[in-house]
Amino acid sequence: MTATLNPELDLSVTRVIRAPRAAVWGAWTDPERFEQWWVPAPQICRVREMDLRPGGSFRTEIRDGAAEFSPHISGCFLAVDDHERIVFTDALLGGWRPAEASFVTAVITMSDHPDGTEYTAAALHRNVADRDKHEELGFQEGWGTVTRQLAELVEA
Amino acid sequence: MAKSLAPLDGVFQSLADPTRRAVLVRLGSGPASIGELAAPFDMALPSFMKHIHQLETAGWIRTRKDGRVRTCTLERKSFDLVESWLDEQRAIWNERTDRLEGFVTSTHEEEGAE
Repeated sequence: MTATLNPELDLSVTRVIRAPRAAVWGAWTDPERFEQWWVPAPQICRVREMDLRPGGSFRTEIRDGAAEFSPHISGCFLAVDDHERIVFTDALLGGWRPAEASFVTAVITMSDHPDGTEYTAAALHRNVADRDKHEELGFQEGWGTVTRQLAELVEA
Repeated sequence: MAKSLAPLDGVFQSLADPTRRAVLVRLGSGPASIGELAAPFDMALPSFMKHIHQLETAGWIRTRKDGRVRTCTLERKSFDLVESWLDEQRAIWNERTDRLEGFVTSTHEEEGAE
């Protein structure tokens, strides 16, 4: 299964990292190492659960300055292919329990590259619109389009 | 990730409602009073005012009271906010990947030196 990107909603970042795939995989899957790069300083990330298997819980917290830790990601892993791929979403919690709010499915892939590791992070975002309402107004899918059309409409 | 999305919740909620969209479209042709805006709708004023408050809180419109008349004006920043949201998400993932790259290459060099 390969993710299909919708350019209005999704994004993909690809980078060749000059390190072996085992090192990149380790930085992602070892909570202590993951905490060191996931959020920008001075924010601090804390991994509460990282159960790396389909249905396994993925929960992180974030602290900004002196404030208390607050939930950051509350989701679950959908696919974990050793040294190759990690897929997680916040649409589900651990054990595939449906989540209150959903925002993203992230597909992380790693493959060997002559200079190290080719790393790709794709983020698929939920269309927050009520699709029927969209169609009612003749909007096409995607908020970029919606807002452009609305902007044109109100500026006409 | 959830944090950066918070300002947008209201913005999207605004667009999901036909009354609020109609208000935005009407305001596109210029400022209008609450009375003018409410006139086309078969709706009690308190209900209509909830829509106005939602639009104002979400940043789609500004309202100003002159004597007994409250006038609404379209605010452009919400359009820009929605347009830039994906760019913002892209920046978050780019910077995150920068940090991963920095972390992995530095720790890998240390391990290699040992």
